[in-house]
Amino acid sequence: MEKGKANIDYNNAVIRIHGLEKAFDDYEVLRGIDLELFQGENLVVLGRSGTGKSVLIKIISGLLSPDKGKVEVLGEDISKLNDRELQALRIRIGFSFQNSALYDSMTVRKNLEFPLVRNRKGITRKEIDTNVESVLEAVGLSQTINQMPSELSGGQRKRIGIARTLILNPEIMLYDEPTAGLDPITCIEINDLINEVQQRYNTSSIIITHDLTCAKSTGDRIAMLLEGQFQREGTFDQVFDTNDSRVKPFFDYNFIK
Amino acid sequence: MDAKENRRAIIVGLFLALGLAIFIIGVFTLGGQSKSFAKSIHISAVFDDVAGLKPGNNVWFSGVKVGTIKEIRFVGTSEVRVRMSIDENSQQYIHRNAGVHIGSDGLIGNKIIVIDGGSPGAPIVQDGDQLQAAKLLSTDDMMKTLQQNNENLLSITSDFKLLSHKILQGKGTVGTLMADSTMAVQLKASMRNLQIATASAALMAKQLNTFSNTMNTKGGLADKLFTDTTTFNRLKAAANQFQAAATNANAITENLKTTTDKLNSKDNAVGVLLNDPKSAEQVRSSIANLQQATIKLNDDLEAAQHNFLLKGFFKDRAKAKADSIKKAQGK
Amino acid sequence: MDTTDSTPIPEAPVRRKRGSKLKKSINDFFFSMYQINQFILKFFREAFVPPYEFKEIVRQCYEVGVRSFTLISLTGFIVGLIFTKQSRPSLLQFGATSWLPSLVSIAIMRALAPLVTALIAAGKVGSSIGAELGSMRVTEQIDAMEVSGTNPFKFLVTTRVLATTLTIPILATYTGFIALFGGYLNVAVNEGTSWRTFIEQVFEPLTFVDFTASLIKSIVFGFTIGIVGCYQGYNSNKGTEGVGKAANGAVVTAMFLVFIEEIVIVQISSWFR
Repeated sequence: MEKGKANIDYNNAVIRIHGLEKAFDDYEVLRGIDLELFQGENLVVLGRSGTGKSVLIKIISGLLSPDKGKVEVLGEDISKLNDRELQALRIRIGFSFQNSALYDSMTVRKNLEFPLVRNRKGITRKEIDTNVESVLEAVGLSQTINQMPSELSGGQRKRIGIARTLILNPEIMLYDEPTAGLDPITCIEINDLINEVQQRYNTSSIIITHDLTCAKSTGDRIAMLLEGQFQREGTFDQVFDTNDSRVKPFFDYNFIK
Repeated sequence: MDAKENRRAIIVGLFLALGLAIFIIGVFTLGGQSKSFAKSIHISAVFDDVAGLKPGNNVWFSGVKVGTIKEIRFVGTSEVRVRMSIDENSQQYIHRNAGVHIGSDGLIGNKIIVIDGGSPGAPIVQDGDQLQAAKLLSTDDMMKTLQQNNENLLSITSDFKLLSHKILQGKGTVGTLMADSTMAVQLKASMRNLQIATASAALMAKQLNTFSNTMNTKGGLADKLFTDTTTFNRLKAAANQFQAAATNANAITENLKTTTDKLNSKDNAVGVLLNDPKSAEQVRSSIANLQQATIKLNDDLEAAQHNFLLKGFFKDRAKAKADSIKKAQGK
Repeated sequence: MDTTDSTPIPEAPVRRKRGSKLKKSINDFFFSMYQINQFILKFFREAFVPPYEFKEIVRQCYEVGVRSFTLISLTGFIVGLIFTKQSRPSLLQFGATSWLPSLVSIAIMRALAPLVTALIAAGKVGSSIGAELGSMRVTEQIDAMEVSGTNPFKFLVTTRVLATTLTIPILATYTGFIALFGGYLNVAVNEGTSWRTFIEQVFEPLTFVDFTASLIKSIVFGFTIGIVGCYQGYNSNKGTEGVGKAANGAVVTAMFLVFIEEIVIVQISSWFR
C-alpha cells in the first residue's frame, strides 16, 4: 500500500497561508502557521487532538475566520471575500467531515443531490442522476442509493461523505480525520480512496489525521503541528527521523512492535 | 420522491386554506353580528346621565340589536352626547320622533340604549339626527314619585275627611250645604285630583312590579339577591301591595265619583240625598277606605326603605337632608 | 459580512481577568442577549432576501403544521369539553347555564386557543427543532451545508421560523374551532342548545379586538417557538449533551416567553377595548 507516484506541480500553490493565528478566548490554538499546498499534492497534517488541525482547515474553508495572518485559497484572499464570493469559492473546495456529516433526514441519493441541486441552477433531472451514479460508483457504493444514512456503516458513511463533496468536482479536498473511528481494513480502503480521488479528480488535498498509517499511505508530504506551528515538515521518513520527545511517542505508539 | 413532495405540498395547502377559511368565516360571522361591515348611519342623543354606558355597547330597537355606541363625550356643563351607529337596514323602522333611554340587557348585564316609540307619521331618521332622550328611569326616580304620590293621596284624603265631616254635620243644616254650590264644585275637583293620583300610583306600582319581576327572572346572577331571598320576596310583596293599594284607591275613586255624580244629578232634588242616608254612608265608607289605602301605601314605602336594593337611595336622601340641615345651621 | 456567526462560539466569552463570578454572569447575560438579537436580525435579513426556499418552507409547514394537527385538535377538543364541563357548576349556582357558550367562547377565543396551541407546539415542535438543529450542529451537518455552498441559516433557520410563524396561527384557529365544538357537545348534551344558538352566543361577546389580539398573539407565539428552537439548536455546543440541552432549552425558554408575551399582548389589547 505504498503510495503511487503523484503528478505534483511544485510551481503552482493552490493554498498559501502565512502567519496564521487563531485563538479561542484566551487559548491560542494556532500561533503562526505558514503553509503552501501545491497543485496535485496530498499534504498530511499530523498532530495530537486539540492542537488545532481542524481549526486550520475550517479557516481554509471559511467556516472560521483567522485572527491574524493571510490565507489565500485558489488565488483569493478569503478574508476579503463577501458572502457570495465565499460561496463560489467553497464550491471549488471539498470538505470531508470527521463524522461524515451526512444529512440524517435525507436518503443517500438526496444527500448526493443536495449540493448539485443547490448550486447548479437549471440542471436537469437526467444530469443529476448521471452525476449521482458516477460518484457513487467512484466510491463503490452504488447499491446504497436509496438507503438512509442511519442504515450505513461508518466506512460507508465516510465514502458517501466523500462522494458528496466530489459531486461538485472540487479542486481542493480537505479531509478531517478520514480514518477516525474505523477498523484497520476500512482505514486502508479509505486511504486507497483518498489516493484514487487524487488521481482520478486531480485534486490537491489536505488530510488531517493522527493516524500514521493513513499519513504514510496517503501523504506526499507531511507537516507536524506542534504547539500551534508546523515544526517538522517533509516526507514521512524525514519527519520521524528524530528523537524529539514530542514526535517520537507518536511513532512508537502507532507501530507497536 | 417528487410525487411525495407534491402530495405534501397539496396537504399543506389544504391545511392552510382550511384554517384560513375557518378564520375568515369567524371574522365574517363576527362582522355580521356587530354590523361592522354593513353600512350604517350615525345618530346621537343627549343624556343627563348615561349610567356607565360605554362605546361598543349595543343599541336596541324593539328588542332587536340595531347598532352600537360609537362615542360618548361631554357637552355643555354636565350633559353627555352619545353618538351611535345604526345599521342602515334598520333605519327605515326608526322615526324621527322616537325616544331613546338607557336600559340594560340584564340585571347585571351591559348598559344599552333603547330606542322606542316613534310614530309612522313622522319622517325616518337620517344620518346626523338627534333623538330625544327620555329621563333615566331609575329606582330613585320611582321612589321619589311614589312618595310624592302618597303625599298627594294623603292630602286629598284629609280633604275628604273634612268634607264628609261637613256632610255628616250638615244633617241639620241641609239647606246650607245644598245651597252652597261651591261646595259641590270643590267636591268634584277633589275627586278628580284623587283620580289622577290613584292612576299614577297604579302606574308606579306596576313599574315597581316589573322591576322586581326582572330581578326574579334574571336574578340568578346577583349573588346577594340570591342569598337574601327574604329581601327579594319582601320587595316583591311590597310591589304587590302597591298594586293592590293602587287598585283599591282606584275603586274608591270610582265610588266617590258615583256619589258625586249622584250629588250632581240630584242637585235639584236635595231631598233625595238627604232622605238617602245610604248615600251619605257610602261617602263616609269610601273615605274610610281611602284612608286605609293610604296608610297601607305608607307602610309599603316604609318596607321599601328597608329593602337593601333601595337602601342607597334613602341613605343618599337622608344624607342630603342632613347636609342641608347642617348647611342651614352652619349659616 | 460575517462568516463566523453560523459556527457556534464554543462558549460565551470567559474573561478571567480578575472578574468576579457576578461580573462574568452579567457579561454572559448581555453577550447572549446580543447574540439573540443578532440571530433575530439575521433572520429578518435572510428571510426577505431572495432566493427563497419555498420547497423547504412547504416541507417545514408539513412537519410543523400538518404533523401537529392531530395532537393539537385532540387537545383542543378536550380543553373545550372539560372547560365547559367544569364551568357549568358555578354558573348553575346562579341559574345561568345559558351563559356557558359566551363564557366558553371568551375563554377559548381570547386566551385558551392561542395559549394551548403555543404550549403544545413549544413542546412538540420547539423541542424537535432544537434537537434536530442541535444534532445537525453537533454532527457538523450545518458546517457541511455551509461548505457545500448552501446558506444553512437560510435553509434551516428561516424556513423553520417562517413555518412556525405561519402554521401556529392556523393551528390556533383549528384549536379554537375544535375547542368550541367540544364545548358545544357538552352544552348540547346538557342544555340541548342548538348549534345555531350556540354560535350566536359564542360570537355575541367577541369583538374584533379579541380576534386581532388572538391572531397577533399566535403569530408572535409561532415566531417565538421557531426562533427559540432554532437559536438553541443552531448554537448548541458540541457533544451529544448539547443536543439534549438544545431541545430542553427550546421548550423551557419558548414556554416561558409565551407566557410573558401573553401578558404583554393582553395588556396592550386591553387598551383598545
